[in-house]
Amino acid sequence: MWLGGWNVSNSCYGHTVACGAAGVAENLLHQLLHVSGLIETDWIWTMKSSLMHLIPPVSRDRIISHFPKWYTPEACLQFKDHFHALVRSACQQRNTGTVGLKISKVVVVGDLYVGKTSLINRFCKDIFDRDYKATIGVDFEIERFEIAGVPYNLQIWDTAGQEKFKCIASAYYRGAEVIITVFDLADIQTLEHTKQWLEDALRENEPGSSFIFLVGTKKDLVSGAACERTELDAIRFANEMQAEYWSVSAKTGENVKEFFSRVAALAFEQSMLKELEKSNGRMAQIGAGNLIKIEGNSLETPESNSQASLNCC
Amino acid sequence: MQGHQHQEEGEVKEEPSPESAFEKSPFQLTAEDVYDISYLVGREILKISSEPQGEVPTRVAQLQFKIVRILEMLEALVNESNLTVEELKMERDNLRKEVEGLRKEGPPGNAEQLSLGPDKMIIDLTDPNRPRFTLQELRDVLQERNQLKAQLLITQEELQCYKSGIISQREDQAGPMEKESTVCSPSGSSKSNEEKTIIKRLFSFKYGKRI
Repeated sequence: MWLGGWNVSNSCYGHTVACGAAGVAENLLHQLLHVSGLIETDWIWTMKSSLMHLIPPVSRDRIISHFPKWYTPEACLQFKDHFHALVRSACQQRNTGTVGLKISKVVVVGDLYVGKTSLINRFCKDIFDRDYKATIGVDFEIERFEIAGVPYNLQIWDTAGQEKFKCIASAYYRGAEVIITVFDLADIQTLEHTKQWLEDALRENEPGSSFIFLVGTKKDLVSGAACERTELDAIRFANEMQAEYWSVSAKTGENVKEFFSRVAALAFEQSMLKELEKSNGRMAQIGAGNLIKIEGNSLETPESNSQASLNCC
Repeated sequence: MQGHQHQEEGEVKEEPSPESAFEKSPFQLTAEDVYDISYLVGREILKISSEPQGEVPTRVAQLQFKIVRILEMLEALVNESNLTVEELKMERDNLRKEVEGLRKEGPPGNAEQLSLGPDKMIIDLTDPNRPRFTLQELRDVLQERNQLKAQLLITQEELQCYKSGIISQREDQAGPMEKESTVCSPSGSSKSNEEKTIIKRLFSFKYGKRI
């Protein structure tokens, strides 16, 4: 449902899609579920493929048309305030290949009780629960976006911060396009631990294949001056980690939407560029056949993902 | 040993004479010694009543020494006995506490577990919150939860499609779907059978809505 219909030539996703897309959707769904360790059997995507023709419209606040801005120029992944020219033109021409069908995997890591789940819940469900409830192992949310007119999805993996779950959660680090390391602005120790969390997450991923974010939470709990002081440390950490820095509050919602929009836009652009690079190479070989190209691309991804094993410990 | 046989009181074999009972430490006295003492005292009293008056003061003095000695022995025994009683009471209390402690710690088997290494853990089988599932079981449960959540998301979006009128009375999908649902369970385990029935139920729900 999150997947189908994006090679439709207009942005009205409510329409049913021409047949032939079924293979694409099946492959993509397969990929989605396998890359994330969601399932090991094939029955879910088989069921889902029968429904892939349909997508409900994306909610208004998930529509991103301008490239979201960084939080601080002192620790940001890129300064551009617009999408890459290639991506823009591809989106305008609806020549987006399989990108529109793609789900990017986001992994959220950090010490227990820093507010990883709260951050995700504020963004995905717009709720905040003051009571602490430890995450058991892992959880996930799917968030649908429309970026530059193209549907795009984030699969956000919420991992347990408790040491005892580490070997379960770490099995889900693999294939992360985005790694979000979270710390508590009111607890400097949690900042110091982010390097270890990042190291653990990077170990499961290809070098340079993931965007890294460093996020300080509970901004509402610290005074302006204390926040600024901690931010200086955090920015230093972020630079060492090659991460983009953000201060947020899940309780008040401050910067939460902006942050995830930034995550989505960066991941989207990266996916698009990779996809365009691939399809350009392919077009030179087999020509510009649209549907054939799409199927070829999407077939490739599950294979590479199937190498991912779920072993841990 | 031979000297014993020539003694007047032939029945007392081990004692050299009844008098020696007075020389013994009170803590080594036997019931036999007490009978000897009793015999000696009795004999003294008989002598006092049967012998002439002039002899009485010396007899009484002799008896007095004996009685004083007896009282001394009694005193020593009473003191000793009180001490022993105190000690025994304390020991009894300590043992009682120890037994209660052992009972609380749980059933037998603790003796073996006491020699556990540093990475081992003792599990109280009577604790309802004790750990009892393996890591693999937790992994499996999470996996299943993830599947169900994915299904829920699919269903919610489908519902949204129905509500917004995106899904209408379209082409009949029953044929291919049914085929897929039977093809898609690779292993013949009971688990996959369960899954099949869940899917079937989901499908029948959808059919119900469509038809």
